[in-house]
Amino acid sequence: MDRRDFIRVAGTAVSAAAGLGCGTEPAYAEGADKSSLQNVSWDKAPCRYCGTGCGVEVAVQENKVVAVRGDEKSPVNQGLLCAKGYHLPGMLYGKDRLKFPMRRNAAGKLEKISWNEALDLIAEKFQTALKEHGPESVGVYGSGQWTIFDGYAASKWVKGGMRSNNLDPNARLCMASAVMGFVTQFQSDEPMGCYDDLDVGDDFILWGNNMAEMHPVLFSRMLENKRKNPRVRIVDIATRWTPTSDFADMYVQINPGSDLALANGILHLLLANGEINEAFINENVVFRRGIEDLEQIGYGCFDEQSEKYGFKDEAKESSLDELKEFIKEYTPEKVSELTGVSVAQIKSLAQMYGDSARGTVSMWCMGVNQHVRGTWMNNLITDLHLITGKISRPGSNPFSLTGQPSACGTAREVGTLSNRLPADMVVNNPEHRAKAEEIWKLEPGTINPKPGYHTVDMFRALTRGDLKALWIQVTNPWVTLPNLNRFQRKPGDGRFIVVSDIYPTPTTEMADLILPSAAWIEREGLFGNTERRTQHWNKMVDPPGEATEDAWQIMEVAKRMGMGHLFPWADEKNWHEQMYEEYRQFTLGTGKDLASYQQLKEQRGMRWPVVDGKETRYRYAAGHDPYVKKERGVHFYKAKGYGEKAAFWIRPYHPPAEVPDDDYPFWLTTGRVLEHWHTGSMTRRVKELHRAVPAAYCELNRADALALNISNGDKVKLSSRRGEVVLDVRVDGRGKPPKGSVFVPFFDETKLANLLTLDAMDNISKEPDFKKCAIKVEKV
Amino acid sequence: MFSQPKRFSRAPAHAMTLIVLAGMLLCAGCGKRKNDSSTSAPRTTAQRSIRRAYDGAPPIIPHKPLKADCITCHSETGQQVPELGFAAANPHFNTSHAGSLSNCRQCHLFQESTELFAESEFVGIPQEITHGSRAYPGAPPMVPHSKLMRENCSACHSGPSARPEIRCTHTTRTNCVQCHLFQEPGENSFAVHQPL
Repeated sequence: MDRRDFIRVAGTAVSAAAGLGCGTEPAYAEGADKSSLQNVSWDKAPCRYCGTGCGVEVAVQENKVVAVRGDEKSPVNQGLLCAKGYHLPGMLYGKDRLKFPMRRNAAGKLEKISWNEALDLIAEKFQTALKEHGPESVGVYGSGQWTIFDGYAASKWVKGGMRSNNLDPNARLCMASAVMGFVTQFQSDEPMGCYDDLDVGDDFILWGNNMAEMHPVLFSRMLENKRKNPRVRIVDIATRWTPTSDFADMYVQINPGSDLALANGILHLLLANGEINEAFINENVVFRRGIEDLEQIGYGCFDEQSEKYGFKDEAKESSLDELKEFIKEYTPEKVSELTGVSVAQIKSLAQMYGDSARGTVSMWCMGVNQHVRGTWMNNLITDLHLITGKISRPGSNPFSLTGQPSACGTAREVGTLSNRLPADMVVNNPEHRAKAEEIWKLEPGTINPKPGYHTVDMFRALTRGDLKALWIQVTNPWVTLPNLNRFQRKPGDGRFIVVSDIYPTPTTEMADLILPSAAWIEREGLFGNTERRTQHWNKMVDPPGEATEDAWQIMEVAKRMGMGHLFPWADEKNWHEQMYEEYRQFTLGTGKDLASYQQLKEQRGMRWPVVDGKETRYRYAAGHDPYVKKERGVHFYKAKGYGEKAAFWIRPYHPPAEVPDDDYPFWLTTGRVLEHWHTGSMTRRVKELHRAVPAAYCELNRADALALNISNGDKVKLSSRRGEVVLDVRVDGRGKPPKGSVFVPFFDETKLANLLTLDAMDNISKEPDFKKCAIKVEKV
Repeated sequence: MFSQPKRFSRAPAHAMTLIVLAGMLLCAGCGKRKNDSSTSAPRTTAQRSIRRAYDGAPPIIPHKPLKADCITCHSETGQQVPELGFAAANPHFNTSHAGSLSNCRQCHLFQESTELFAESEFVGIPQEITHGSRAYPGAPPMVPHSKLMRENCSACHSGPSARPEIRCTHTTRTNCVQCHLFQEPGENSFAVHQPL
């Protein structure tokens, strides 16, 4: 027991002792048990961590967070949290919180400076870069952890002020493939379904998704459905056995990257068995086919192609007949050979998707998105739902899960991606630019029509020297970028990097200027979760030291650059509400309508489109979505370019960018663990979470361990063509990779999995593939 | 093709596992068995505090992983486990929503290390002994905490590990909520503090 623990219990010891000696009825001193709980107030907020968006109630006493509890009024989690959520308060109180702006001096040492000096310096550096090298030389790298305010301020400043499109979020590394999946098929981002599907679906097909650890509260909600309804089945399609597999009715082990073949194999059987919904297809689906030539597409790796990966897909009209011809070669036998999945299991999956009497929910996250053909794989999963008509119905939907608290609300809806504007608009569409300029009250022609750098190209440009000034907020790229050795800085390289964060990280190590940010409930905020739910919280405590919120930092710099007109309400007390009401104009009447600020303040979040104060559970569905007329069952009204129908994309199998060979005989897959969130900069500062998983490790198959004479706890050196890292071995731990495969979590800044990974990318979303590269394993 | 998932059976179905586990521990501990009665001492508030980040946080797991399902030992009533002491009863045993709570490690953490990544200044709500309000002296007290995940009253209020301060005096009466009503969740803590 440390001193603090002692103090915490000391006050109760007396009353406990008094209770012991008094017979059957403990005699408490009345009022004595209220001692230290005076002046505790509770308020609602969404959890700070993943995209689930669990509701928590936060207890504040004397300007400090002292506890949280699961919010029983939240429809998302109904009072339940996960270990990270229950331990949220500790995240704010690491002793090494950044509290003051700091500049790196000529000797490389950090020195405290004033906010005025810091903001002036940023304004000057960005002005100089703009003047000397133009809008392509400045950039902002943000985050799916940005509140809607931060992302909106950044977007307006970069696109409306500096006339640059070099604005991208870390969500590019996370769910860009899901964005492009929905956009290519429905011409509108984000899922049609919602968490209610977890309560009413019959078959849950998890595609490369360790949901028990990554979305544990949603997983438990699905398990509850299963407990009540024995008909419910869970299928885990995975490249390694995980805690999710423990609960699955069927475990389908698949070769890395062969999910494309498996999905096509299922389509083959659905067509061969006639288990398709022709009436639905005729009414609601068009067929499209893109560029499929492997040579032409490539993988965007640093060495292999030009430094800029700008491949563009082209859509050709196609048909059900062409699909039938195309799919012929994906026989169960051939697919079995490519995937390593038995023919019986492929048939079983096809039966599940083909059974029109059962509700089918497909769920996926990083396994599908961090994929050299991630958009294709997103397309194929949705194709399975389009061809069977199992879409926009309670309990039948393709549902992509999201890893960051506002990847949907900020990165996707505000559109802080290098080619996007708010509410599904893009910079290369003149009408979209005109609408943005009108709402932003800018001169026509202000917004730059040329998309900016996507994340990997942004950091390549920084390394190359084309990007001169970069501001990084709420993210840690020097842990999360693939092939990290490529992105090291050299002293005196002439670039200017600002990093806003709450703790020191490997990214603040790279910074010329560090700004301390307010975290979570230290400021007013809005997040948007995976099921389109926008959630508001109030500021509950003051940030430490001189920390400020990210949106404020941006607005102050904009003012200093003569762009104060972008934020006319910046100095007013309720600027959050005014900014939101301006942003909300983008959404009204588009099918992405957001709720009023007042309603968000009162409710446990609202799922858009919110029309007449009512939220929408199922998009495109009659009786649910106010934009769908009653007589039409389903209406994909956002897809104007497809005649208001959804696009079924024919997508072939392509092999991964790098596969194991004689020199590098193992697959490496990277990912997360339940206890740590992303790079662990928050969760590692929580005692209970850090002690549960204190360091990254390497999961190895038992047979491989035996062959290499390695036991549990031994150290191994993992090396790829790009780097190496030494780790402790786990055999038969919580995850069990198959023979020839290795798993390493990426959270540990001292044992960087991303020194090994390959900077190969999805051809359409430009999201890197962190899940597949070749390594060797040597005992140290 | 479809195997029966293992987690949905309740404790009795695991009787065999328990016997094997108990046997395993007995063999392993040959000659070094502690006196069982000493290991089943009631929980104290101090213990409770050490295992929780704040009052109301899920406790960490104070033992090493045992390669057995948690609910084998942490059953509806809890049970004596040789060498380890009394495995506390599972207070969520009758929790009906929020996922059947079969994924124990969603909330409860093994601790593999005693180190810190960085020093912390967090101080949580302290562990407090609280009691519910009564309508008049001698009336049954109301339940001073929220119900969610504490549906199995006897887990904390009776049995060898119950803290003496909150131990039930009338365990033969099994329908607790007949007399002890839940107060609405209050604004003070996970526990509701209301003086008489």
